[in-house]
Amino acid sequence: MGLVDQAEFHFFHFFPYTELPPDHGERESLWVDFPNTNYDPEVGHRLYNRYLSEMVLADRLGYDGLVINEHHNTQYSMNPAPNLTAAALVPQTTSWISVFGTPPNLGYPNRLAEEYAMLDVMSGGRLRVAFPLGTGMEYWANAVNPATARARFRESIDIILHCWTDDGPQSYTGDFYTYRYLNPWPRPVQKPHPECYIVGTGSPETIELAAELGFGYSVVFIPRVAQLKVFDHYRERLAHHGHEPTPDKVAFGVFAYVAESDAKAEEEFLPHIMYFFQNNLRTTPRYLNPPGYVTVPEFRKRIQAPDVHGTANWDDLVAINRIVAGTPEKVADAIGGWIEESGANRLTLNLTIGDMPNWKVVKNTTLFAEEVIPRLRGRAARSDGAGTRSATSATSATEVVA
Amino acid sequence: MTADPVVATAPVTFERLEHDVCGTPTVVLAAGEPAAPPLVFLHGAGTFHGWAFAAPWIEQFRVLIPHHPGYGESGDLEGLQDPHDLVLHYVELFDQLGLTSDVNLVGFSLGGLVAARFAIEQKHRLRRLVLVAPAGLRVPGVEVEDLFHIPPEELVGRLVHRMETILPYLPADPRDVDFNVDRYREMRTTAIMLWEHPFDRVLPRWLGRVDIPALIVWGEEDRLAPPALAPGWAELLPQSTVATFPAAGHLVLDESPEASAAVARFCGEPS
Repeated sequence: MGLVDQAEFHFFHFFPYTELPPDHGERESLWVDFPNTNYDPEVGHRLYNRYLSEMVLADRLGYDGLVINEHHNTQYSMNPAPNLTAAALVPQTTSWISVFGTPPNLGYPNRLAEEYAMLDVMSGGRLRVAFPLGTGMEYWANAVNPATARARFRESIDIILHCWTDDGPQSYTGDFYTYRYLNPWPRPVQKPHPECYIVGTGSPETIELAAELGFGYSVVFIPRVAQLKVFDHYRERLAHHGHEPTPDKVAFGVFAYVAESDAKAEEEFLPHIMYFFQNNLRTTPRYLNPPGYVTVPEFRKRIQAPDVHGTANWDDLVAINRIVAGTPEKVADAIGGWIEESGANRLTLNLTIGDMPNWKVVKNTTLFAEEVIPRLRGRAARSDGAGTRSATSATSATEVVA
Repeated sequence: MTADPVVATAPVTFERLEHDVCGTPTVVLAAGEPAAPPLVFLHGAGTFHGWAFAAPWIEQFRVLIPHHPGYGESGDLEGLQDPHDLVLHYVELFDQLGLTSDVNLVGFSLGGLVAARFAIEQKHRLRRLVLVAPAGLRVPGVEVEDLFHIPPEELVGRLVHRMETILPYLPADPRDVDFNVDRYREMRTTAIMLWEHPFDRVLPRWLGRVDIPALIVWGEEDRLAPPALAPGWAELLPQSTVATFPAAGHLVLDESPEASAAVARFCGEPS
């Protein structure tokens, strides 16, 4: 079994709120200060039900897992509390549920450790998590200081690991949190704890943290070529800290659309991916970089880098992201190539994006499951009749530990 | 008194002193006769608009302008959390500079907050206190827009009544990397101290201790910290007077030679 055969395919859904007012184009940012009077709960109700049904469909089609994430004050995501969505998915699904995830420093870390443990126990050990620092926008929306966010982030993760791995009661005295009795019930099913990733944009501090903790690394929003360097650096640091740099340690995202022909795929996909980059992601440099959110040297780098939030054209997007639209052969070839070039085989698939209508999501998700994954997994996986789920996720959850 | 704008923009040559303040490399600009009465100026949240307003002080005073930790040419203060860390930083720096008594302390904006907090604890070192459009006091009934709420492209304009006051200090290209990095660093330091608590918890409870003569200076066109805040400060400071200056914004010292002169006059008055 090779790198590609063992790849895992996870269905990622951003839960966007897509019914924007006709004059939304006049707004510089659709995050942070985009008025919530534009949110209609009736529409929200309909979209939640639709999106949950799309997640359940992906589960039925045999995807290895389902992925959700968290954002605040935005039409980009209707998941400010993704654990609620995960809880709604638990009884309807059998695959992995990845909460990728809640910034652990935005609330109380013991509470997040409890919520994740609840999900792990309720799902019988099907939870995976990623710890993001959260975008700069989250710090305008929450009462947490962006200038101390990174230190708080580290401490929060430390507390969550104590919650999961130490026998309670313990006490914890940190710079940000003091616990006199750290003794959360329940504890996770998976031992020592659910598999964890850190979400990063390639900054050396974040890579070092993931490597030190032996966590996976999930990369977002940096150019594809730069990603490869980041992966190498991460694997080198992972090995340095005594952890095996296996291909599943790196997760990367793919935007894909499958149709009968390349032309049809592009025609059906393009409006929605452009909608995603032009609208869902539209925000200001100020909201992206609140004071102190990044270190001073990192800020220097960022203000000289191209902006991917809401202004990019198609060529920039394709250079930065892994985007493919076409026949099953074309999509499988592209993704197979990306797996090979990156040496990484945990994929988070954006098969639904922006304002894509349900029929396209169903079509794309079905075709990808039935025509692309089997091509990538090879003939054996296609003919065994057991669906497309990978071998790793068929093992007992307790064997799959970080 | 006649206004002479040339005075406020005359170049000042400062001596650059370097101090190690408990591990924080600290730059102090010094001018005037070393033996003259000391006037320490604590700057606001940005150091880019220069120190020309201090020119008229140099004839009478030993003018000392330290760069706060995390601002201008000074290093970062490891473990910085709130303005009290700056108070302690200045206790040590004042000791190193021999500033144990009869100091005239002038604080502008963020520096006004630090000066007021310093005065609460260290009034025995001070002769007179000048607060220039000071930040950090919540005055009931006065709306103050949060500093972090103002988009940076608007912030510069909000600092002044006349754009020409500040133009000489701005880079030709608004995307100038070094300039923007320096401003980011200063805003970062400000955020560390003030993001969660922009209004100071200590001032309303303790400012009444500062019973030395105090002058509160405000530009009448201040669009960052409205002059309506001045009476709130005056009410808390038992020996204070308020002086406001027309046709001047938040950078009142830069825009009003009268304001700068008033500071010198107040600090030069006999006790």
